[in-house]
Amino acid sequence: MDKQFLKESVQQGAVAFKAGKMDRRAFLTLCAMAGVAVSAVARGDAHAAANQIILWNWGGSSEVCHGQYIAEPFTESTGIGVGFDTSGPLQGKIKAMVDSGSVTADVCDADAFDAIALGDSGHLEPIDYSVVDKAKVLDGFAWEYGVSIIFYGYAFMYDTEAYGDNPPNSWADFFNTAEFPGKRSLYKWANGSLEGALLADGVSKDALYPLDLDRAIAKVKTIKEDSLYWGSGSEAHSMIVNGEVSMGMVWQNRGKAIEDDTDGRYKLVMNEALAMPGAYIVPRGNPAGRDAVMKFIQTAQDPKAQLGLLDCLGMTPTNPTAFGMIPEGQKAYAITSAMNIDKVVYNDPVWWGANSEKAVNAFLEAIS
Amino acid sequence: MILPFLAVIAGFYIYPIANVLWLSVVEPEPGLGNYAALFDTESLRRIILTTIRICVVTTFFSVLFGYTIAYAMVHMDQRKQNLMLALVLVSFWISILVRTFSWLMLLGHNGLLNNGLQAIGVINEPIAFVRNELGVLIGMIHYMIPYAVLPLLVNMRNLDMRVMRASQNLGATGTQTFLRVYLPMTIPGIVASTILVFILSLGFYVTPAILGGGKVLMIAEYISVQILITLKWGTAAMLATLMLFGVLGMLYVMSRFMKLSAVFGGGR
Repeated sequence: MDKQFLKESVQQGAVAFKAGKMDRRAFLTLCAMAGVAVSAVARGDAHAAANQIILWNWGGSSEVCHGQYIAEPFTESTGIGVGFDTSGPLQGKIKAMVDSGSVTADVCDADAFDAIALGDSGHLEPIDYSVVDKAKVLDGFAWEYGVSIIFYGYAFMYDTEAYGDNPPNSWADFFNTAEFPGKRSLYKWANGSLEGALLADGVSKDALYPLDLDRAIAKVKTIKEDSLYWGSGSEAHSMIVNGEVSMGMVWQNRGKAIEDDTDGRYKLVMNEALAMPGAYIVPRGNPAGRDAVMKFIQTAQDPKAQLGLLDCLGMTPTNPTAFGMIPEGQKAYAITSAMNIDKVVYNDPVWWGANSEKAVNAFLEAIS
Repeated sequence: MILPFLAVIAGFYIYPIANVLWLSVVEPEPGLGNYAALFDTESLRRIILTTIRICVVTTFFSVLFGYTIAYAMVHMDQRKQNLMLALVLVSFWISILVRTFSWLMLLGHNGLLNNGLQAIGVINEPIAFVRNELGVLIGMIHYMIPYAVLPLLVNMRNLDMRVMRASQNLGATGTQTFLRVYLPMTIPGIVASTILVFILSLGFYVTPAILGGGKVLMIAEYISVQILITLKWGTAAMLATLMLFGVLGMLYVMSRFMKLSAVFGGGR
């Protein structure tokens, strides 16, 4: 946190210094306070900070993966550098950043429902579709204030030793603790958990939205005694790997890693997986300006970049050209592979953008 | 000379707090709507009650264990006393995240204790020590014990031990001396550590989030969700304001019993 703060201070300082709004001595003092070597500043590392796109993502290996598959080709073709803020662009943080007037990120690796909610409240720059190509996105996943680059999803994994010859294959099985006894884990902040509950309760894929919140909550409560709830991917991962649950909801991109970590004891079920469109969104008044950031997003639409992210992060491409190019080993895990694309259920970000407050609080109330 | 520092405090501390107070009455619309929600929203009341219940239990056991430890310490020779103080301080300084995850490893489904008990055949199924309210309480009490020990230690060290000898001289038994002389003299320490532990417990976030398995929702985590995810900043600010004034009220009570500087580790 402190490191992040200091890094941002220096980047801000570098911008002010370049614009002539801060004198040299003050800038050097700032660098010294932040522990940035003056030699590094003299070499221009911090200067470069003023001339780059800052991608705000979720840390972990995403910095390396985004760096290799989007940032490198982007810098090669435009000469503009790419920096990272890995603190996680939650809606509240983006809103606070834009409201405070000191925007330090250019593009956020966010959710599509963030694009709807924050776009409506005036916190985002519209996407420039003369640069970003709508044809390179699966139909329906390009919005005014955000464009989907990857899909991730909510699927579940089960213990093959617990269920043997009769493995679970749907959310109905997941919620059926009579026939499939054992502990469950679900996502703590409602997304995916509500959809899974409704599908289990017999709602058809096409009639899912608008979500019947009361019905979903009632279904979630039926397995409350047997449920744990996770808030982060690593928590979901460890609940399964440590054997705490017999069936666990996960972010599908972790499926392969968990199968490997448990030597295949736990298996991913992609049937009825809930496909979540991620979205690249641009905070209003982003420091690098609109043109540069739109070119950056355009780079991320390239099938090569998206297949790279699939390999590196398990995130599934949204560019239809890339669907057929998904490598054999990833087909079972990818949302838009020929194997899975007809089995998944797409999340409706417009409903979530408008109703997430109600849904999250109702869910929290039900589980706590 | 003090003026610039006052400005720093005003700018970086008082202004943001005032801002939070302000948000609680203007978001999403001006008025006391956020506070009214306290009375007609059942879930808010339940979260507050859960928080208070957990804090009361945590405080009770932390002070009980803390009292025992402090009592043992003041009755040991200097060398052992230093050793114990060092042990208390070491656990005091270890990061809360580390301590929380350690409990998960020790008491978890596949943890040391469950595996050990299963190996020697005491139990067949792992016992659910964590991912529930019990886990939250274990984690919080363990974290809070040093905070309970330190004010009590200060208090007990300053007692005039001649009074106890006088009591025994006048024919009181050991138990009588403890209950009727020693215990009353340590009440300021008990009150101070009770209030200190209670106040700190109110703000717990990491421990309930990890050891509670998502089922134990306390105010701090709820505030964070309202700010970061649901964007109900008014509700969050209202709860923060409520906690702020609750804590200030308790500090006022504490200041009647003990000099605040002594509690927070200043001179005695």
